[in-house]
Amino acid sequence: MLLKSVNYVRPESVTEALDILSSNEGAAPLAGGQSLTNVLKHRVASVDLLVDISALSELRAITRAGDGSLEVGACVTYDEIDHSPDVRAGHVILAREASHIEDQQIRNRGTIGGNCCLSDPTNNLPPLLVALDATMNIRAVGGTRHVAAEDFFKGYFLTALEPGELLVSITIPPIPVGGGAGYVSLSVATDSKTIVRAAARVRVDGVIEEVRVVLARVASVPIRHHAMEEALRGVAPTAELVRAAAELIGSDVEPISDGHGSSEYRREMARVVARRAVLAAIEEGGRK
Amino acid sequence: MTEQGTTHVIEVTINGRLYSRTVEARQLLVHFLRDTLDLTGTHIGCDTGSCGACSIILNGKLVKSCMMLAPQADGAVIETVEGLANDGELNPLQESFSRNHGLQCGYCTPGMLMAGTYLLRENPNPTEEEIRRGIKGNICRCTGYVNIVRSIMDVAGGHGSEQADGIVGEEQR
Repeated sequence: MLLKSVNYVRPESVTEALDILSSNEGAAPLAGGQSLTNVLKHRVASVDLLVDISALSELRAITRAGDGSLEVGACVTYDEIDHSPDVRAGHVILAREASHIEDQQIRNRGTIGGNCCLSDPTNNLPPLLVALDATMNIRAVGGTRHVAAEDFFKGYFLTALEPGELLVSITIPPIPVGGGAGYVSLSVATDSKTIVRAAARVRVDGVIEEVRVVLARVASVPIRHHAMEEALRGVAPTAELVRAAAELIGSDVEPISDGHGSSEYRREMARVVARRAVLAAIEEGGRK
Repeated sequence: MTEQGTTHVIEVTINGRLYSRTVEARQLLVHFLRDTLDLTGTHIGCDTGSCGACSIILNGKLVKSCMMLAPQADGAVIETVEGLANDGELNPLQESFSRNHGLQCGYCTPGMLMAGTYLLRENPNPTEEEIRRGIKGNICRCTGYVNIVRSIMDVAGGHGSEQADGIVGEEQR
């Protein structure tokens, strides 16, 4: 397909990339390009200048800190996450979910930063990063700021990024002792577009001490279900109590209806995937 | 820094040969291969990154060449289906596709061969499930997957055609 004429530049540092992005109104960063290329083909967004950040070494590192937290550069690919010993050392769930994104070719190019910055509600990583209480590290010419993943996703294809800003890395805290994470999707087919999904993180010490339950595809962005979390806090981690808590997902969520499922179906399935994600998180915590 | 512009001079090594060309920034890599270099073994199927017919190996990674712009490949080492055969002799994977009827219309075949090549490099001894996951990004519109899986399994280390036939036989029952 023939694209609209476009300028292309490959900067050599993040500083250079930020200078270009902030001084060109029609500039957009190009990372793995596994969504942006199609956007350009369909001419649904107008980009005058593509700033290819994909090879910048500053954006390509995975670092595991002494406290067990993980920092993943924005241009690390899904396949690199999947095969990273540092990711697998403490955040196996991130490696596992990265390994289930679409197909091998896309995993070899697509990046964690692109997955987040596109803010497509069907994308795999945003709900997981909200559940894991990740922090998005954002740079602009003027400096760096940090936004909780929970506050980063603002709407369909909309994030907290301002013009001229670049997501440079994502920091994920360690999964606490006695804790675990779970992630369950109901998808159209294996490793494909999701109908509804849930991610959870728990810490159990006799009773459930901490819990995050995040639902995706029931709204334009991943949402925490605070009522379900509240019902789980301080209770024994039993299947019955988790089931009862999941029943609180009700008319407060209003998912869309489309060819893959009605709003009612999505809501019903949200209860199922939320329950299973929490149980998986509890089970993982119990194994440690 | 690569200077900003709508055209760029790029250097790409493809199947061991260095090419230097001026490209438009908007040119898709698959068009660069097919139209500029006349390497038409790489096919264009869907042009949306869904079908995998345009799969190539770029810097050791299997990618879809319709999902990249030509200037993004500047400096890259690329392998395409034309590089598999040696002096007109099919390589073992190509032989296996021929022997096992791993192609019907042949449209998806270049992509399937590159996906199979990549898979066997990463995992020389894949299970049937791993092969099926490995070619998930490649669509065969003839739906000839059974023989494609068998073709890849037939050259995989430690898996003879008998075992592949056994698994397929199970499926058919």
